[in-house]
Amino acid sequence: MGIDRVETGDAELVRRIRAGDIGAYGALVARYRDRLGRYAVHMIGDREDAEEALQDSFVRAYRSLERCNDPARFGAWLYGILVNRCRTTGARAARRRRLFVHDVEALNGTPHPDAMERLEWTDAVERALARLAPEYREAFLLKHVEDLEYEEIAELTGDGISALKMRVKRAREQLQKFLREAEHV
Amino acid sequence: MFEQDDDIVERMIRQLRRPVSIDPGLDARVMGEIAAAAQPGKRRTWPWLAAAAAVLAVMVVAHPWALDSGTSRADAFQFVLVAPQAGSVSLVGDFNDWDPARSPMHTAHGVWATVVPLAPGRYRYAFLVNGVEWRADPAAPNAIDDEFGTPSSVVTVAGRGS
Repeated sequence: MGIDRVETGDAELVRRIRAGDIGAYGALVARYRDRLGRYAVHMIGDREDAEEALQDSFVRAYRSLERCNDPARFGAWLYGILVNRCRTTGARAARRRRLFVHDVEALNGTPHPDAMERLEWTDAVERALARLAPEYREAFLLKHVEDLEYEEIAELTGDGISALKMRVKRAREQLQKFLREAEHV
Repeated sequence: MFEQDDDIVERMIRQLRRPVSIDPGLDARVMGEIAAAAQPGKRRTWPWLAAAAAVLAVMVVAHPWALDSGTSRADAFQFVLVAPQAGSVSLVGDFNDWDPARSPMHTAHGVWATVVPLAPGRYRYAFLVNGVEWRADPAAPNAIDDEFGTPSSVVTVAGRGS
């Protein structure tokens, strides 16, 4: 599992962009938007801020494309830009973090008991994630949600592998605790 | 107890792995921002470009921007059309006698693009989709003097130093 697996053909698209075909960048945006968007939304916790960070990361990547040393791994390089951008946004937005509901269906009409349960679970997940320290949340999301190897995460974040493993372990322990607490509320 | 605790985190991971819907207009905003910033000092500033791109409901975001043509008389302009459903797209306009064969657009995952050199002047143009459907550029001013009655847009290329 890893970033390289997502799609093929990035090197060719980067080559075309560098040759002046700006439209080819649209294909890269479409390719990575949803996956990187998921990370940004979970990491930042606010959809508007997450989409702003995502948009800014795409624009920054375009402007810095000459510094992408391995175009075949454009996705990994872009991920690194987004991770850094989320760190900045996360620090700025921490005090105005707000939670949102994913399940629109559950909000329409009279909620079915199952729908209410899903809604509560979704809310509990978001709240638990929000309570983690940013460095724990980052390591947990990259490892378990984005399914990256520790070596890849280390490359993206600049942190050591043993430190990352410790953060993921602590994150799991704390999430267990937070989710259990939510169950008993 | 440990197994139960681990299960609840695994359930959480499954929840977090679900796709998150991102505003589909984000693509247009990114491309609009890139277009507006392309080639500083040579770009044509269309202040409404980013805002227009942001609100487009249809997947059509086409707008030219200056590229380095290396010539003194004409700058190369790239036209981009996001049309994932199209089988073919050509750029037609005053600059190519409205001949679809002269400026076919090339696609990468539904993003169609072509580059044409434009000397200073005013040009009407449109996109010919699938050889039959004329589309104006929704992010550019409409040409109000199209004698053929088909949708078209207009771009004005200013001379250097203007």
